[in-house]
Amino acid sequence: MRRLFYLVREAWVNMRTNRTTTIVAILTTAFALACVGIFLLLYVNLRNAAGSLQEDVKVMVYLEDRLPSEQVRELERTLKTDRMVDGVLFISKEQALGEFRVQFPSESHLLEGLGENPLPASFVVTLAPSFRSPDAMKAWVERVQTMEGVAKVDYNQEWNSLLAGLIGYIELAAIGVGILLSAAAVTIIGNTTRLALLARQEEIEILRSIGATRTFIRIPYFLEGAVLGGCGSALSLGILKFAFELFRQQIQLTGRFSGIEGMISFFPLSVCLALVMAGMGLGFAGSVVSLLRVGEGRA
Amino acid sequence: MDAIIQLIHVSKWHDRRAALSDVTFEIEKGEFVLLMGASGAGKSTLLRMLIAEEQPDEGQIFVHGKNVTKLRASEIPYLRRKVGAVFQDFRLLPKKSVFDNVALPLIVQGASEKDIRRKVTEALRAVDVDHKNDQLPNSLSTGEQQRVCIARSIVNGPVVLLADEPTGNLDPERTREIIELFKLINARGTTVVVATHDPHVLKYVNRRVITLVQGVLLAERRVGEGVGG
Repeated sequence: MRRLFYLVREAWVNMRTNRTTTIVAILTTAFALACVGIFLLLYVNLRNAAGSLQEDVKVMVYLEDRLPSEQVRELERTLKTDRMVDGVLFISKEQALGEFRVQFPSESHLLEGLGENPLPASFVVTLAPSFRSPDAMKAWVERVQTMEGVAKVDYNQEWNSLLAGLIGYIELAAIGVGILLSAAAVTIIGNTTRLALLARQEEIEILRSIGATRTFIRIPYFLEGAVLGGCGSALSLGILKFAFELFRQQIQLTGRFSGIEGMISFFPLSVCLALVMAGMGLGFAGSVVSLLRVGEGRA
Repeated sequence: MDAIIQLIHVSKWHDRRAALSDVTFEIEKGEFVLLMGASGAGKSTLLRMLIAEEQPDEGQIFVHGKNVTKLRASEIPYLRRKVGAVFQDFRLLPKKSVFDNVALPLIVQGASEKDIRRKVTEALRAVDVDHKNDQLPNSLSTGEQQRVCIARSIVNGPVVLLADEPTGNLDPERTREIIELFKLINARGTTVVVATHDPHVLKYVNRRVITLVQGVLLAERRVGEGVGG
């Protein structure tokens, strides 16, 4: 118990002795992690948005004109038993005409001159969530297109691909920026640990001479690194939350992009905790790197 | 009797100069030995080797049955817990109280709170500074600081106590007191090795003396006896 107390107190004394270095390390780590956080927040929100948009992505399977009702039922059965399909809704020619009239009342007279109802019957297909990627959708559409009785298959491929591409780029940027700035955080904390090590070289010599193990000598520095990383990460989340709320408030005040404020959200508590833990991990890694590079002296 | 320290043909070079040259001797359990020699004779090098702070270039060293030259890095701290060390510059932590300084070897070993309190109080009492346990080392006289250093070196009951120029910073009266203290510790069964260049120490010790000259074991004798082996 006394040993644990000693180790924690030593870590605290380290930080207090090098107060300025500690504060600078926490602040720089916080800003570095906040930059990573911006990309992460953007990525998470865009993924959520893409998810809800993809839920709305419907594939229209238009049928050939005058297709026998038996063949229509057969097609419906085939689609419903397809593992890639989540839901199938049949829209008859009459229903299509009715919807057209409701949606475009001023243009409904255009159809009257044509005599017979020119709109085709169709199936509105919702694909299962795991098959909503552009590639999966494209493959499915190409397969259905060749089915007997199917005149045309239509869906908003461009929009879907564009969104997936954008998310891919942001994901790459988040990973790139994340790696770069995490390395910066590790270096910052590593340098702080190195300064503490150099300042306490004499004390380390004494500890070694009385039989302290390497682990015993190193633990306060590991703790210090983890605390610095954790504090930096928590502060970065505070900065991000502040900026996020400011952004949301601005949207509400200006009235631009109305509706978007309901769609965007901050990290949930579990993610916040995970990010603080990740910060602690980075700080710990910084101390490890520093101790491996400089060492606490000979055994 | 059993040898607690054994050096077999030990040599060590520092920058092509022999710090120790083919040194062989044994120290029995419970002995009090003075290691004499001028500055640069190799006394400190020899003591550092006994706690594995340095390794010899040739030869073998045994301490308490362990071959120090073949210890793994992870085993060295456990050797040092059995061998107390006293230094000329005391090596006390200036920001920790006398009590905390002396408690350090016990904390390192994971001793219980109760044991720490009891053993530290005993050690401070043995060196007669128990009334200063709350003070910081820098507020003590040099003699008292050396006593605290000795208390720290004996607090966990080492089998061997090594002292490197322990009286180097002390006046003759304090020197006598410290040597008497070592004799008292020795009388309780701890093997004591005191390295010094100060011939006045001989006045207070009628024990075995090992003399080193430029890294060579010149003589072994008892004070009052003629020069031997």
